[in-house]
Amino acid sequence: MERARHVLRVGVLLLLLVSGVTAARVLMLPASYGDYGAYRYDNVAEQRNKPVIHGGAKSCQGCHEKQWNLREDGEAHLKVSCEVCHGPLAIHATGPDKDKDKKIADMPIDKTAKLCALCHRRLESRPAAFPQINFDEKHTKGEKLDQPGVCKKCHDPHTTMFEEEAKPEDKDEKAEEKKDEKKPEEKKP
Amino acid sequence: MNGEDGASAPQEQTYTFDELNRRDLLKGTLRLASGAVVMVAGAGAATTTDYEWTEHKYAYLIDISKCIGCGSCVRACAAENHVPKGFFRTWVERYLVSHDHGAYVDSPNGGREGFPPVDTNVKPTKSFFVPKMCNHCTATPCIQVCPVGASYGTKDGLVLVDDKRCIGCGYCVQACPYGSRYINEETGCADKCTWCYHRITKGLKPACVEVCPTGTRQFGDMKNENDPVRAQLEKEPVTILQEHLLTEPNCFYLHADKEVR
Repeated sequence: MERARHVLRVGVLLLLLVSGVTAARVLMLPASYGDYGAYRYDNVAEQRNKPVIHGGAKSCQGCHEKQWNLREDGEAHLKVSCEVCHGPLAIHATGPDKDKDKKIADMPIDKTAKLCALCHRRLESRPAAFPQINFDEKHTKGEKLDQPGVCKKCHDPHTTMFEEEAKPEDKDEKAEEKKDEKKPEEKKP
Repeated sequence: MNGEDGASAPQEQTYTFDELNRRDLLKGTLRLASGAVVMVAGAGAATTTDYEWTEHKYAYLIDISKCIGCGSCVRACAAENHVPKGFFRTWVERYLVSHDHGAYVDSPNGGREGFPPVDTNVKPTKSFFVPKMCNHCTATPCIQVCPVGASYGTKDGLVLVDDKRCIGCGYCVQACPYGSRYINEETGCADKCTWCYHRITKGLKPACVEVCPTGTRQFGDMKNENDPVRAQLEKEPVTILQEHLLTEPNCFYLHADKEVR
């Protein structure tokens, strides 16, 4: 009789322990933790469901057929995706409707020589075969480099071929890019 | 998760330890256990979609000889992944190397605004740009040091961070030999390149590869026999960064100088 009681006590203690651990696991571990390893498997789906910001060059073709064809014929900028210069699709197509008469937001494009200099400024670290120039006023025949459309007067960025005259239509100066002019800081020394 | 409702009622009963008798305890425990089983089963079912992660094994290839240091990748990455200013999931370094003076490396603002002319007295005999990012190592130290299971490896070959699990302790930031991680000041969590997991699982390229104008950055699937990146990895003399650390990176470099690390 005495033994039976001891066994019962041990049994109850064990049961308490098991239920305690089970309860702690259920309460403290998030759902899907441990399904495939020591992590929360639901996060894989969360990562996957983040919104896509860059649509790729093809996503521009539908509305901007003319520029698309110019780029296709021009060859030199054929590998340069539209979003490199114009910014990501999501800003444009799902962006805020700032001006009431506009259905979609403007692209934050920098139309000064700064944009072209990103790729074409002469730097000794660049592959020698890559087309590079010195960005100075000698090249622009006296035109200011920070003036919008300065490169476009001679070069059409879609075809990259030389043009006789400036195109009159692109005159809006939206230099939103300028605000992220910040003192350069190094990630690594 | 259907099981949650069923499990929550008996859980409340077990809280009242003061007037708990043996019978209630037994009943409660049994209900709790059954609830837990349903909950785990329900959670597994909730996340299954058409993408099968065991059918892919991704690899990233960077051809240093093609990089022009334009920084398009850095800007695209920041826009795609809401990377705070001053932090980088990917960045571009400029190497100025000479035999006498070794390597001088700079990366003004990660190359986000491109590169100005060289501002140093170092006279290099060779110079090039090196894009850097998370190497998604197979044997990575960052997962090993995570105390809460926030960093993990996926079946398709990536290292990801669960920002709901991360406590921002920063061990992984220190453990990464490539400097790929940072603490995101907006979320307080460790953050790093995900190879744009939200894009690649939809069949798109990572944003940096998408915008790279020279084809320096390439992304491929090693389980696809016709993949051009797989073909290059099989035929070209590729290297990895800091091989001696045995982290088994899945980011490969073509035409990398010995000074690149």
